[in-house]
Amino acid sequence: MDAQLFKAGDRVAIGASGGKDSTVLAYVMKVLNERYQYGLELFLLSIDEGITGYRDDSLETVKRNKEQYQMPLKILSYEELYGWTMDAVVAQIGKKNNCTFCGVFRRQALDRGAMSLGVDHIVTGHNADDIAETVLMNIMRGDIARLGRCTAICTQGEDTIKRSKPFKYAYEKEIVMYAYFKKLDYFSTECIYSPDAYRGHARAFLKDLEAARPSAIIDIIHSGEAFEVREEVKAGQKAQQTCVRCGYMSSNAVCKACVLLEGLERGRPKAEIGD
Amino acid sequence: MSESCGNPNFESEALMSRRPKYDKTKICVRCKLAMGSVVIRHVVYCKPCFGPMVATKFRRTLEPHINVTPDAGPRRKALKAPGSLLLGFSGGLGSVVLLDLVNRSYFPPSNSTGDASSEQTKSGNGIGLRDEKAERRGGKDHPRNLRVWDKGSVCYVEICGAFPGMRDRTEEMRDLVNSNFPQLEFISARLEDAFDDAWWNAVGGKLVDGAFRVDVSSEELHLSAMSGEATPADRLQKYISLLPTQTAIPSAIQDLTRLILLHTALYRNASHLLLGTSLTSLSVSLISSISQGGGFNVREEAQEEWIPPDSRSRPSQIPIRIIRPLRDVGLKECAMWAWWNGLHIPGREKHPGGKQGVGALTYNFITGLERDFPSTVSAIARTCAKLEPKQVSESHCILCQRPAQPGIQDWKERISIRSFIDSSIIPPPHVSRDGIFAKEKSDSGDLPSPGLTPLLCYACHTTLTSRSPRGTARNADMASPLPSWVNSRLSDSIATTRKMGEGAMRDSIRDFLLEEDP
Repeated sequence: MDAQLFKAGDRVAIGASGGKDSTVLAYVMKVLNERYQYGLELFLLSIDEGITGYRDDSLETVKRNKEQYQMPLKILSYEELYGWTMDAVVAQIGKKNNCTFCGVFRRQALDRGAMSLGVDHIVTGHNADDIAETVLMNIMRGDIARLGRCTAICTQGEDTIKRSKPFKYAYEKEIVMYAYFKKLDYFSTECIYSPDAYRGHARAFLKDLEAARPSAIIDIIHSGEAFEVREEVKAGQKAQQTCVRCGYMSSNAVCKACVLLEGLERGRPKAEIGD
Repeated sequence: MSESCGNPNFESEALMSRRPKYDKTKICVRCKLAMGSVVIRHVVYCKPCFGPMVATKFRRTLEPHINVTPDAGPRRKALKAPGSLLLGFSGGLGSVVLLDLVNRSYFPPSNSTGDASSEQTKSGNGIGLRDEKAERRGGKDHPRNLRVWDKGSVCYVEICGAFPGMRDRTEEMRDLVNSNFPQLEFISARLEDAFDDAWWNAVGGKLVDGAFRVDVSSEELHLSAMSGEATPADRLQKYISLLPTQTAIPSAIQDLTRLILLHTALYRNASHLLLGTSLTSLSVSLISSISQGGGFNVREEAQEEWIPPDSRSRPSQIPIRIIRPLRDVGLKECAMWAWWNGLHIPGREKHPGGKQGVGALTYNFITGLERDFPSTVSAIARTCAKLEPKQVSESHCILCQRPAQPGIQDWKERISIRSFIDSSIIPPPHVSRDGIFAKEKSDSGDLPSPGLTPLLCYACHTTLTSRSPRGTARNADMASPLPSWVNSRLSDSIATTRKMGEGAMRDSIRDFLLEEDP
């Protein structure tokens, strides 16, 4: 409420994977929208990465959610957007670094899906644990650009659709308990190509921290909100531009997705991903 | 070995290929002649080149901060500190290496002035810093050859007073310093000094008539007058025992130690306090501090300037610079320096609960990660060096005396349910009904009992109030004593910020009021 994420008449797409976070988010958005007459037009937006035995099953859950919550559903696949499924990507590059391809493709895919739906706003189910983990990851990887924005509840670039994380302060435990008590229909299986080792270490560390000091997750988020990238460092960062190939926003002449796709097309699986 | 994805027992490609230990060749990267003896983050050094490399990193970090005003031009001015030097000493690897480097660089033996005595000869087989003869060109009275600090001291803070039965190592540390670094004066302090009026008076602190105690069972941390006599050690032990979680204990010890060192530095007119934090320790401190909500003070973790808030002894208010000159030198480099110079490392004494601290968890995490991802440690330090606080701080935390972020309590109120006034809500066991009633009173406009909460930074408030199912034991008396510097500032701030009732306000202006018509 304080962040004033929505206004009456907004068309809002809920990033739906069929997992617990996005299912609870869809349910809560529907309940609050009806109870307090927010006046929002809600949509479910799913991305089909093309992972047999994982995404096809979870999409069945999303399709049931569509009926349960009476929301229109849009499914966009990597295959139709990029011509590659993740199964095909992994077949070409192996399991190493596949999360990088998937992450870059998904961000673009969500934006493109939202544009096709004509929505003003995408909400995702990132919870407090995810945000804290991302803060730590960005510090450890030296990803200053993402560190500066990862704790913002709402982000919007000049040409991009507004993105929000309404569960930013909700612990994963709370979401699981909510889904359990409300008997929500969700899919709970780890991606068969995941997790990547580095993030796995960070997640395990966070769980240890939380066990020792329950406030650790919210403390990390508070830390992330308390600092920002120094002005002189920001000034040295690359300005936002448009990809010459696909027209998507990019910090280089060619966006990351196009660089990765070019590597795949040329059969150069180990294409460098520079920032 | 790192696992990327999948099960390495069945899928060979699931294993990441291990990078070779060194990049191209085993030849030293510096002299390009000798066979390398040590690999530091994939770069190979031979033994003679390793010493100057570490010494250069040490001096490059320290020397720009020695003069009051940094050098503006390309020509470096002579180094001259405005005060004396204090080194914090824990007995750990970093602090022993720091002592050795400072001693060799800035406090050479007095008989070496003008002669050819070099550290190479002193340490026999060890690795030296530089040729002393070359450094002393221009004669002993040349400004370049004057001592940077007139006097150097080493302060060791003994923590055994916090835990009955723990070994007192003060004499061991004194022997080590006196026998190896005779140019440096050894000063001992004890953790309980933080609660000792005599120590506070001795270091120039302002003594107050009555001490305060804080009720750690309430979120507002209500204050009341301290009653009864207790020794400093008793007060320290009570303070430690009333901390709400095991993780709060190492944090509290770290903060008390830091403030004792700072006040000792202030009293001894030191302009610089040097700490033996290596690159690895710095990365651990940064992640540990961020994990405890200290993001606002991320800059201070690497380097800070401290101006005492209520100093009687330093009217000129020259800030004390707290510098970590080994912050570009990794743990492995420190270990190699110590090994090749034959330094004895007594080690830090483990204290109960230390393993469960956030610092210990972070240390295990970072050093574990460093094995497979060696650049992680430096990436953390470099990333954090690019950060600054979002807001300007107008106040300092009364406990840790670092800048405090405004609006902390509003933030906490906004993100969580913190009111238990509704009788239908059963408060958690750590929240006392008295605390709730006191909050009710304050909300209803009656005179609130003063609290410590508005005077604390986020990290200190959370350390004193964050609960855990595995928390420390509950006591009937949850009133904790406070360190002397807190009492000293409280005596001023409570007097100036206490809310006055309407009657009291009227009394204070009674003489200026016109009499009302009957």
